[in-house]
Amino acid sequence: MSETITETKLKHLAAEWIVAGTPVISPVAIKGRFLYMPLLSAEALAFSPETRPANSIKEFFFPKAETLYSYRVQGSSIELSEPSEFAGQQIILGARPCDAAALPILDHVFNWDSVDDFYNRRRTATTIVTIACTKSDDACFCTSVGLGPSATNGSDAMLLEISTGRYEVRCITEKGRQLFAGVTEPGTEPGHVTDAPPRKFDSEKVRAFAETHFEDTFWADHGRTCVGCGACAFTCPTCHCFDIVDAGPSAGSARVRTWDSCQSSQFTQHASGHNPRNSQPARQRQRVLHKFATYPEKFDAILCTGCGNCVRNCPVGLGVLSILTEI
Amino acid sequence: MANIYKPDLMEVISVRQQTSDVKSVAIRFLDPERARNFSFTVGQFGIFSVFGSGESTFNICSSSSWKDRIEFCFRKVGRVTDAMWQVEVGDVIGFRGPYGNGYPVDLWKGHDLVFLGGGIAMPPIRCAVWYALENRDQFGEITVVYGARTVADLVFVDELKEWSTRERVRVITCVDPGGETPDWKGEIGLVPSVFERANLSLHDPVALVIGPPIMIKNTLPILEKMGVVPGSVYTSLENRMKCGVGKCGRCNVGSHYVCKEGPVLTMDTLRGLPLDF
Repeated sequence: MSETITETKLKHLAAEWIVAGTPVISPVAIKGRFLYMPLLSAEALAFSPETRPANSIKEFFFPKAETLYSYRVQGSSIELSEPSEFAGQQIILGARPCDAAALPILDHVFNWDSVDDFYNRRRTATTIVTIACTKSDDACFCTSVGLGPSATNGSDAMLLEISTGRYEVRCITEKGRQLFAGVTEPGTEPGHVTDAPPRKFDSEKVRAFAETHFEDTFWADHGRTCVGCGACAFTCPTCHCFDIVDAGPSAGSARVRTWDSCQSSQFTQHASGHNPRNSQPARQRQRVLHKFATYPEKFDAILCTGCGNCVRNCPVGLGVLSILTEI
Repeated sequence: MANIYKPDLMEVISVRQQTSDVKSVAIRFLDPERARNFSFTVGQFGIFSVFGSGESTFNICSSSSWKDRIEFCFRKVGRVTDAMWQVEVGDVIGFRGPYGNGYPVDLWKGHDLVFLGGGIAMPPIRCAVWYALENRDQFGEITVVYGARTVADLVFVDELKEWSTRERVRVITCVDPGGETPDWKGEIGLVPSVFERANLSLHDPVALVIGPPIMIKNTLPILEKMGVVPGSVYTSLENRMKCGVGKCGRCNVGSHYVCKEGPVLTMDTLRGLPLDF
């Protein structure tokens, strides 16, 4: 026995949630591609087991720009106030399993030692419904980092396609069970998963290489074509580096956290002008090291879910995959 | 919600111009309860901010026993430090911290102390020197070798003079060749060579070496020749930081987050890390 739901029913549910004031985030078709966005109407819902949005869902936990606090300057006195922009409960419907899998990985860095409640409060307030993949492309490599087309890490519930427009509902957490309580129908056929991408590299081998070949011509050979645009980091579900900047009076006089990328030349530049990572190959090396050696050493988790966004979105055809398969 | 990024508001209580582009600033907490509860270890750092301009990371260069204020020192090199340069007594600025590990002063007890610093590296040495002087009976001979490009670039000059009058303290100041003035009475040369020339006899010392990478690199072999093991040589890294709390992802050297497991490291530890600093 399994629980099932139709796409029509899911759209009805999405419409109800939206009307009730709960933001629903789903893949939406925009100018010939898909992006995860808050739905304005359930009609815009464009999920399927094959939809691969160009962004990730991390921005709904760790926004591109987020006010940390505001300040009011009056003469020599300063008043600080907490941000009020937190919206509360939200539902993500139709995420790829590799996007959801990033969240348990990110939980480590936002909670070791000091606790980042900006991230945590969104994490707690979000229910994530994923769809198991039935199709992979050349850029997919989830199976190389220990995941797969129906990996449930980070999902509250997972939908598995039975036939076109019909899904098996697998509730994984209490949040998932609550979301689908009383709205599914019993069925007998299980959902299916097909077409796992082939394993493209050995992550342990990558780690061993990165840890022992810091000064190797390999990085110059493979990192030189990088233009440092940061598209890989911004569309990566696990990249979490940020900057903290002051937005001036026109932006409400606030201190704001914004996404940053280790591929930017100024990322590590000291005030003196000295830059520990003074070339694009050094910055590409950092990206591989952080994901496959540093983060696993510190938090026992690879900082990559094999989603392939860095490959698809790289203007020069780099991404981490072309580097990792060369190791 | 606990907001780990929100700073304390601090009143500026004094500003001292050290050189043409370096100032030191003393501040105190506006919240008296926070002032009472605040403590830190010398060698830790803070993130200081001017509202409207942004945050910058500096060492807390006052001693941890000065309960009425904390001090920091900066060079005017960018947007935030340009704004910090305009700050006057009575103004309110932001402070987050203390962050990082600080100096293991308990491990230093019973040892001679050698402080070697170049240029703007004086502030993170200054806090340790004052700490040692305030706990004088816990440490052996104290030697400070401090150099700058020119006489005009030396910071905390009056304090260097005061330290040299204390018991069992030796202060050697130097400037780069060509950086001296006609009445300069200190040494001429770079910190490593001046230190070597001084030919000091030290008893099982702990060394704190802070300055440009080339100064550190050239000082290490001299310390080694004197028999100081790499585990007794400390430095403080200056990697760029934004959050100070191990999240923002930019200060790491290999798996070491400088804001958490640093900024103070022994040369032993540093040698085991990739050359990413």
